[in-house]
Amino acid sequence: MKWISNLFARYWRSVHFLIIFQLSLTFVFGGDQIASRVSGVVVGAFHYPFFMIRNTFVELSRVNQENQRLQQELVEFSTRFSRFEEMERENVRLRAILGFDPPAGYSLVPAKVISIAGDLVPTAAIINCGLNDSVEVDQPLINEQGLIGRVVTVASDVATVQLLTDPAHRVAVRIANSRDMGIAKFKPSQGMILDNVPVQANIKEGDLVVSSGLGGIYPPGLVVGTVVSVSRSEEEPFCDVHLETAADFNSLEELFILGMDEP
Amino acid sequence: MRVIPYILFLLLVGMHVVFLRDVTSIYGVSPDLPILIVLLVALYKNDTVATWFGFAVGLVAFAALPERFGWYALLMAAVAFAACQVRERLNLESLKAKLLLVAGGVLLHGILIQLIDTAGSLAALWTLVPAVTVYTTVIAWLFFLFKEGTITFEKTKSIF
Repeated sequence: MKWISNLFARYWRSVHFLIIFQLSLTFVFGGDQIASRVSGVVVGAFHYPFFMIRNTFVELSRVNQENQRLQQELVEFSTRFSRFEEMERENVRLRAILGFDPPAGYSLVPAKVISIAGDLVPTAAIINCGLNDSVEVDQPLINEQGLIGRVVTVASDVATVQLLTDPAHRVAVRIANSRDMGIAKFKPSQGMILDNVPVQANIKEGDLVVSSGLGGIYPPGLVVGTVVSVSRSEEEPFCDVHLETAADFNSLEELFILGMDEP
Repeated sequence: MRVIPYILFLLLVGMHVVFLRDVTSIYGVSPDLPILIVLLVALYKNDTVATWFGFAVGLVAFAALPERFGWYALLMAAVAFAACQVRERLNLESLKAKLLLVAGGVLLHGILIQLIDTAGSLAALWTLVPAVTVYTTVIAWLFFLFKEGTITFEKTKSIF
């Protein structure tokens, strides 16, 4: 038995190399089944964990790119949404304007406010119509709510509008029901007031105030505002009347110039 | 316990095949990490261990080609055996001699792979193979510098 162990020890290295050579030949010529099975085990043990790691990183990278793209789209869509909301509001305003008829003998020239001037309250506005649109000085401006003011200067493409809220502005008005007359003017300390209304006048809160047509600038019947308070004093010959303007002068956008129709 | 380092080396080869090869690629040239690991084992271990390890690395590195991976495993084992024989006969000590052995082994392996591989082209013999050899030898050089203590982490940190 000893000679066998001596023989084995002497050729031990050669046995190793022979086994390796034999295994290699088995994988090459042993058929696809053996090679595929061994390959499957090796791939499962030494490749698969790293496939998982690589795929995780690839997926994370893809998700990150997708996230950036979606964030960009979100910004784009929210911008578009804001624009659509603004268009919707404009649509509502324009629909309201569509139901508005100009006074007889006048036609409407649409104009957009491009600038507003004034410290605490707006006193003047610049509109995008001028001589090229046949705009003239002293033409009245209205919107769907009521009287806005009059054109004071005109350039080729723009015009300046003196608003009712300018303290230097005056409008001859009358109470729609009682037909009592007065002068509407704006005082920064008091707001819109009605001057020269006698104490005997039949005027009360809630009465509608319209332009009287006197003075030659504004046609009669344009809504100026509503009476919010009336106070009478026995010592004073005139009432103290406060008005609320029909138009909101803090949100002027679309206006109409009242142009007189050709006879 | 003595097998664990070799298993870790095999895992490193598996990692190289799956994604490290792509990550370390420069203009389409990647280091031949499997043969480098086999040659390093052949430099420091006996021929039986190196040959078995070469065989195992051949199986892991070419597991995706089951119809030919027997040849590749045999080739890797043969290169490991040859490297051991060269080391024993020439008694390599200097850094240059070790690098020469690594470069020769990588070059020989690259040439034989191109000859075995049916999809390999002869043009790769004087374009891709030398480039891979240089790249792999540079990595081996860095490894030897680290192993001999010429480069250490402390020295590297002190630069910055």
